[in-house]
Amino acid sequence: MGAGRVIGALTALWLASLLGWLAFILLGIGVQAQLSVPIALALGLGCAFLLRDTLPLRGVVALLGPVGAVLPFIILRQMAAHLGAPVQPFGGMELLVFLALYTGFLATAAGAIPVDFYRLGYAPIPVAGIVLALCAYGFLQGVIFVPLLAVTGQAMWVMGWGSSNYFDHVLHPVLVPAVVLVLALRLF
Amino acid sequence: MGLGAVQIIVLALGVLSLGLSALAIRRDAPLVWEWAVPTLMQRAGIPEFKTVLDYTAETGIAHSPAIILNGKGASILWFAGSQEAQADVDVVGVDIAPDGTVTPITPRLTRGALGRAFEPRQLVVTLGNTVQNDGAESALYTTAVSVGGWAMASIADVRMGPDGPLRARKLNLSPLLNRSFLVKSPMVGYADGTYALPAYFEMGGTYGALVRLDGQGRVRDMRRIQGRAHAIQPMIVPLDARGAVALLRNFDSGGRRLLISRTDDGGRSWDAVRETDIPNPSAPVAALGIGAGAILMVVNDDAGDGGILNLTVSEDSGETWRHLKTLEDGSAGDARYPMMRALPNGRILLVYSTRGKRGIRAHVFNLAWALGA
Repeated sequence: MGAGRVIGALTALWLASLLGWLAFILLGIGVQAQLSVPIALALGLGCAFLLRDTLPLRGVVALLGPVGAVLPFIILRQMAAHLGAPVQPFGGMELLVFLALYTGFLATAAGAIPVDFYRLGYAPIPVAGIVLALCAYGFLQGVIFVPLLAVTGQAMWVMGWGSSNYFDHVLHPVLVPAVVLVLALRLF
Repeated sequence: MGLGAVQIIVLALGVLSLGLSALAIRRDAPLVWEWAVPTLMQRAGIPEFKTVLDYTAETGIAHSPAIILNGKGASILWFAGSQEAQADVDVVGVDIAPDGTVTPITPRLTRGALGRAFEPRQLVVTLGNTVQNDGAESALYTTAVSVGGWAMASIADVRMGPDGPLRARKLNLSPLLNRSFLVKSPMVGYADGTYALPAYFEMGGTYGALVRLDGQGRVRDMRRIQGRAHAIQPMIVPLDARGAVALLRNFDSGGRRLLISRTDDGGRSWDAVRETDIPNPSAPVAALGIGAGAILMVVNDDAGDGGILNLTVSEDSGETWRHLKTLEDGSAGDARYPMMRALPNGRILLVYSTRGKRGIRAHVFNLAWALGA
């Protein structure tokens, strides 16, 4: 497994982003973003590299893997927005459509619907089409985030860094409760 | 940043994506969808049958034995612990020499060693069904659970060394946190020398699956074997270059018959799973193609008694079945989870668990014994 060390390093960074996000949320209660973001990222990096062989972190890797690009990208995006970067928020309709499509996608994987879209993520030609479609979406909407995530995920997939299925690099089931929460907060 | 700049960056990303796609397409080796046809096994000769292992665990379970073929003979591996799916279950095993000599039971794959073999290390709480990875030297596929029960399991590709696992990684089979895929039956060979892994999804709407792998052992494709019934644990037997039959366990609580599906395009697509007329108490079967469309099958074919295990044969590609031998009559408790493989010397090794998951029994026999009157 020649890519094993790269995957190990990427997993550490992935863990660092998750742990950093937790620290960022906790620090955000009483600390300004300009201070909480660097402290949280430093804490995340420190914990991920020093404690990665502890039972809790081995459990997190086993539970939330495989490692992909989407969670670190969203976490860094949120932190950048708190630092004042010009981040364009996702629209309510955009989130609703994503939630409906992604929930349907997960339902097909669970066998509730007898079609298999996940299988397309193993093959280079369907993946090429999906990435180009996401780039076209970003081009038309004037946003970088979605194309950047799509192409980064494709690069990781082509290099064999992580899952052999493209969808694992750009999607994660944690997004479902996260999007529901964001939509609920906007409603109330 | 103005809109023009955003669009230029996105265009650059699109160009990068085209380059990555070209690289991925150039590297990709197209899959061959033609089975390795089973060779005609020798039916004549002196009937031979020998029980080479009859083990009863002093405490706890011994279940789901697997046959691991090697140049010198075979190994039998099974999972053992206080109870199924508990946090003390490891995989143990014995080696069987060509003369039938059996070594003492030793640990082969422990939870701790497997957890350390992942890069990065992962938590492994319990282990389950294990099969040989025929596509690599000294390699296994094991069912590993890091949280919850079997519905939260993943399949781990484990490369073994002399003292245990050297490295491991999970097969990527589901977007649901890569959960709920398990193995049970041996791999199936293709004409180009590659192998596919029969697997199954056990959460909610269950289904069988045929997993194709690339040259690095990563998942390259997966085809479902599904229908209205809750089909799991596919046992796939190729019949010719394109045709194969899959015999599946019905996981429905009320399921009382064995399930079947067929393919005529090398496993690309499968008929909707349907019931056979073979009674079955929701238990997996073992089957072996013996050439000319004939299939040998070991099956629990009494829907009300999981202790009855019979050897049967089909001479018409699985359409009809004929009873050959009674292997277990129910006196030794439940006899389940059979696995059967052809040995290099032309004999057949059959293993299964006995005494309600508390023992392992193994027999070596030849077709002259199996098909004899």
